Amino acid sequence: MCGVIAALTYVVVAVSVTLCLAAVWYAVRDRLIDDRLLAVAALLELGVVVLLVAGLLGLGRIGDATERATFVAYLVSLPVIPVGTALLAIKEKSRWAMGSMAVGAFAVGVMTARLLQIWMAYA
Amino acid sequence: MPDSSVRDRRALGGPGVLLVVVYGVLALAATGRSVLQISEYFERAPLAYVLSAVAAVVYLLATWCLARGGRWVRVGIVACAVELVGVLAVGAASYALPSAFPDKTVWSHFGQGYGFVPLVLPVLGLLWFRRVERAAAAEETAARGAGVGDGAAPSGG
Repeated sequence: MCGVIAALTYVVVAVSVTLCLAAVWYAVRDRLIDDRLLAVAALLELGVVVLLVAGLLGLGRIGDATERATFVAYLVSLPVIPVGTALLAIKEKSRWAMGSMAVGAFAVGVMTARLLQIWMAYA
Repeated sequence: MPDSSVRDRRALGGPGVLLVVVYGVLALAATGRSVLQISEYFERAPLAYVLSAVAAVVYLLATWCLARGGRWVRVGIVACAVELVGVLAVGAASYALPSAFPDKTVWSHFGQGYGFVPLVLPVLGLLWFRRVERAAAAEETAARGAGVGDGAAPSGG
């Protein structure tokens, strides 16, 4: 379980960086959301949901109660972001929506990196 | 003519959508942190954690107002103003009385733990809401000017 969560967080960070860069690229080129970008967002969502399940299963490993609570807060918050920004981007057809997808993906990356940081302290 | 949609004070659209996401993420982070602070170790710093919960609620409200627009714009302005006062007051208090704020909350140390985003965000929110209000007022005036057979002059409010 230990290695699985670490590996998953690396994958999620990689996908979020990809989505962030792609969304910035779309914003610069003034392109709207399309199936390809939506697929990357869906992949990111899948990643954070799997991470949520795996994280909850491996929760017992984190000894400190405060750190454990922070870990859960991040785990639960993460899946909201890709869905929320993708829905906004579908509704709002402008380059600003691509900018917001980039910001959302960046937030997912930062939060997942924090998750990994907490996890590695106890793994 | 989509007249009603023109006059609708839309806060979403353009830069507003970016603000919604940044506010949303901050609301999420603040809510998560305050829920666990209050449920796990409230007695450590009751004042700081209550303020943290207040901040979370205000961020959620501001996010909602930004996303909805229309009549929520006024509420959003109040929410952003509360945020600005909160981050300045709690920020100053956390330096003056460090013992009351033992660990980071959204507003302590002027939002340092969140890259000072909580300090900048209410200002951007207020600017954006003001822009939405002005655009709506201009549209209303234009719509009134185009109206047929207006007997009485509309009184400003």
